[in-house]
Amino acid sequence: MSTSQRLTRYAMYFKKTILLGLFFLTIAVFTELVGPFIAKHIIDNYMTIGHIELKPITWLLLVYLLLAIATAVLRYFMYIYLQMGANRVVQKLRKDVFEHIQTLPIQYFDNLPAGKIVARVTNDTEAVRNLYVQVLSNFVTSFISIVGVYIALFILNWKMALLALTMIPVVYLWMILYRKVASKYNDVIRTKIADINAMINESIQGMTIIQAFRREQQMTKEFDDMNNEHYAYERKLLFLDSATSFNLVNTLRLIMFTVFIFYFSTQSFTATEVISAGTLYAFVDYLTRLFNPITNIVNQFSQLERSLVAGKRVFEVLDTNGEPVAEKSMPRYKGNVVFEDVSFAYKNDDYVLKNLSFEAHQGETIALVGHTGSGKSSIMNLLFRFYDPSIGKITIDGIDITSVPRQTMREHMGIVLQDPYLFTGTIASNVSLNNPKISREKIEASLKAVGGERVLANLPDGYDEPVIEKGSTLSSGQRQLISFARALAFDPAILILDEATSNIDTETEEIIQHAMDVLKKGRTTFIIAHRLSTIKNADRILVLDRGKIVERGTHDELLAQGGIYEKMYQMQANSLQ
Amino acid sequence: MFDVLSKLSWFFKKYWKQYTIAVVLLMIASGLEVVPPYLLGSIIDLLTAGEMTPALLTKYILIFVCIIIGGYTLNFVWQFRLFEGAINLEKILRRKLMQHFLRMTPTFYEKNRTGDLMARATNDLNAVSMTAGFGIMTLIDSTIYMGFIIFAMGYMISWKLTFFAMLPVPIMAILIQYLGKIVHERYMKAQDAFGELNDSVLESVAGVRVVRAYVQEKKDEANFAEMSEIVYEKNMHTAKINALFGPITKVGTGISYVVALGYGAHLVAIEAMTVGQLVTFNVYLGLAVWPIFAIGELINVMQQGNASLDRVQETLNYEADVRNIANPQTIATPNAIGFDDLTFQYPLSQVKNLQRISLSLKKGQTLGIVGKTGAGKTTFLRQLLREYPSGEGQLSIDGVDIAAQTKEQLLDWIGYVPQDHVLFSRTIRENILFGKEDATQSELHQAIRSAYFEKDLKILPMGLETLVGEKGVSLSGGQKQRVSIARALIKDPEILMLDDSLSAVDAKTEARIIENIRRERQDKTTIITTHRLSGIQHADLIIVLDEGQIVEQGTHEQLLSQQGWYKEQFDRQQLEGGAS
Repeated sequence: MSTSQRLTRYAMYFKKTILLGLFFLTIAVFTELVGPFIAKHIIDNYMTIGHIELKPITWLLLVYLLLAIATAVLRYFMYIYLQMGANRVVQKLRKDVFEHIQTLPIQYFDNLPAGKIVARVTNDTEAVRNLYVQVLSNFVTSFISIVGVYIALFILNWKMALLALTMIPVVYLWMILYRKVASKYNDVIRTKIADINAMINESIQGMTIIQAFRREQQMTKEFDDMNNEHYAYERKLLFLDSATSFNLVNTLRLIMFTVFIFYFSTQSFTATEVISAGTLYAFVDYLTRLFNPITNIVNQFSQLERSLVAGKRVFEVLDTNGEPVAEKSMPRYKGNVVFEDVSFAYKNDDYVLKNLSFEAHQGETIALVGHTGSGKSSIMNLLFRFYDPSIGKITIDGIDITSVPRQTMREHMGIVLQDPYLFTGTIASNVSLNNPKISREKIEASLKAVGGERVLANLPDGYDEPVIEKGSTLSSGQRQLISFARALAFDPAILILDEATSNIDTETEEIIQHAMDVLKKGRTTFIIAHRLSTIKNADRILVLDRGKIVERGTHDELLAQGGIYEKMYQMQANSLQ
Repeated sequence: MFDVLSKLSWFFKKYWKQYTIAVVLLMIASGLEVVPPYLLGSIIDLLTAGEMTPALLTKYILIFVCIIIGGYTLNFVWQFRLFEGAINLEKILRRKLMQHFLRMTPTFYEKNRTGDLMARATNDLNAVSMTAGFGIMTLIDSTIYMGFIIFAMGYMISWKLTFFAMLPVPIMAILIQYLGKIVHERYMKAQDAFGELNDSVLESVAGVRVVRAYVQEKKDEANFAEMSEIVYEKNMHTAKINALFGPITKVGTGISYVVALGYGAHLVAIEAMTVGQLVTFNVYLGLAVWPIFAIGELINVMQQGNASLDRVQETLNYEADVRNIANPQTIATPNAIGFDDLTFQYPLSQVKNLQRISLSLKKGQTLGIVGKTGAGKTTFLRQLLREYPSGEGQLSIDGVDIAAQTKEQLLDWIGYVPQDHVLFSRTIRENILFGKEDATQSELHQAIRSAYFEKDLKILPMGLETLVGEKGVSLSGGQKQRVSIARALIKDPEILMLDDSLSAVDAKTEARIIENIRRERQDKTTIITTHRLSGIQHADLIIVLDEGQIVEQGTHEQLLSQQGWYKEQFDRQQLEGGAS
């Protein structure tokens, strides 16, 4: 189905509102077009030289005025209803996209920059909103107005109306040609300006480098090229617009008047009956009205193009396969995790985990150790079902995790990321994530348990200290603790902890060590470990190398083995902090 | 309000021919607009009186054909010329801004947020360029064109009729202007709501792992639905006022028509006017609707353009705080770098960021800088980039103060790898060649090898031609760091500065890169700041910074024997690993 068809289908969700708006519009066009008829009537019947009939004229003018007011009122409601419909349609579209994004696999988020995904939900739907609000309502109103004018013309004089009809194919052809050429120009202009702005933005961010490497001239040149090309196409479009658009409409109107003059004049030479002044007046009036809607339509073309492109992108997101969010819950499991011969590749046969088998019993702490790219994070991704194994299976308490909906499985899992993610709100709301099941007492108890008292309670607003911009006003240690407290408050059976590598001062480090001990208690814990102190305290260490477990055991056992771990340990002793 | 036009006089002066043509033709075209309605009126009178003859018809048709051709040409030329000026102005200003940005030093960027600067380069430029095209058009339409219409109505038909029929116009104009203000306010509020929606989506997307891990999807949806409802309400709030413009015009012009018809009938009855003139008059009334709106548009465009131009100009007027002196000294190659009692403070800082730094470094030596976060390590490196006005004391190369040299000469010697890895949205090849535009193929490969990036290149989809940044693949932190190291190495600079540039690579890789750098840069100067002591143990001189001061200095061995912060840090790193 094409984008425009799908957009129409969306509009159907609110067809009542939209149809009501169109109904008002149709009556408004009618009441508006009656005006010239009244004028015609006055001119033909009551406007006589040397004599004026005040009463009928007053009455007719009163009707004229009332009709104008009626038109105004109808147009007001038409506008409101069409806007209401359009905005509702877009709201629905927006909600659908957002909802759909929640069902998309994590992969989608890993492959696209956040900004682009956000643009699909907000900016692109906003462009679609303009389509409904501006483009479509203009198209529809213009179309109905044109039809109305033609009906009036036919009532007045069908021969002249037929002549006026010849305008339709001319205008149609012009629109087709214009759109074809203009959309090409608009396309270039749109992408060029996006590139230019991206370049300015990037240059501002990377100015130190540009200046340090003295690349100002190269940048200027590249910028000038884009800027000039953008200008060249703007100019081409302007040339086209100057030659067509309002100028052409104006010309067509004048041509129509010329035809009109020619037609009625030649009529007057032959016909016995003289054309009434009122009819001529009405003709002039209607012909003038005929051309305004055409300009309106032409002015909408570039927005139409932009909106359709945006709409296409929105539908692409909606067409990406997702998995519905399950709301079923399950009783808390014990947390016996088993990996059975698990292999995993992010794409094709490029396996990042190869035949992995290991067990973790309730309450144990497993440390995952290995170089970057050894597969530590992939294990976390699989356990959380951010991704699913390509081969083999993972069970929790004997249940294959892929047999239960993702959300249900995650209910009893907790995560602490290397770079803890905080949402706008307060410290407390970041612990509870506004979950009503987590009471204020529990929030405070959790924060206290991880040692938040010393680090967070003395902030001006204590636990209600606002969190802004991902917590940029807080130190990385503080953010870590909030994220620990969050995990604690949700009381998971299985905990996954990606330890931060960043430097934290000794005091905070101690607090965090303590918090980790509190958090681990009674849970099956997997730690992607960077600190030796953490590794040493683990019940079991899995040493990973290129997707395989090469060694396993406790710290002492592994040191005694004198294998990779021992070597790695000696070498990293300096760099691990 | 019209200041904006005089502020732009440099532009109008430069393109005065183009603008003179555009404006004069626009005026003539405006005058021409009022002719056809007048002719129509006369023709209607002829027709109703049955006085139309073939000769007259030919004359009128000829006149119309002339008007059509003439009008089309005039309209084309003025429209093209006038709006060409506007897009040209935008192009010129955009270029000026970009060039200005390229000249600005960090102080400028600390004072202006990227978002604000971008707003100037986009929205503000648009607003300014509007004044030079659309602004001038509305200016002429709402004055000269309106004047022509009123004159035609009054002079050719009836001043009295004109007066009474035009009575609703000022009321309409005031109402429209007033409502325009309200719409603007409400529109801004709707935009704010949209911005908040945008921010909240960004949070959901960036924090998707947390949202999913804690099964917050449904709650997130509910939250989004609530916010989208607010956006809806704000939009409708604006629409309710917007909806008034059409109806007000309808009623206003409706009254004008009623007056024209009623009073017109009287004038026709007393033979002060013909029916044809009444038709002409009514067409004029229709023409007058646009100029009434144009007044409102004109005020908006000029006000916004003025405010925007002021912002753009403010940015352009900011003067770079580091400039080359009149008679700079030239030095062929830097043989020694000397810090002599250097004290430095960032322009926006409350405290001294470097204090009394003294040391000297000879060509071929390596300097290691360590210390806590915020101790001044990066600040130290940035002294050599000369991004800020000089502080007290002196930083000299071969005994010549760097302020007495050109910035270009200084920067030509330096290869800088910053802490936050900045890559540009282009291919990896282009990113590395950023260090040396005309590097040979073998130089390129050498740099990649030294930065230990060969293996990674093989995994990347298009190898060297892989696009990185917003439009391309996202590299890991370690990969980005190594690309920026390669970018500095390809320059084979006299002075290489690594600012904690190996934090995201593992120990093995770090060791290899350091080894490569040591081997290849034996006779060149290298300065390294780091948190990991392993990366600088080989340095000829190591300094420990704390609160901008050198608290310890010496070689690795010397520092170990000093029992200070360095030793403590070293022991801690050893202890963590060494003793079991």
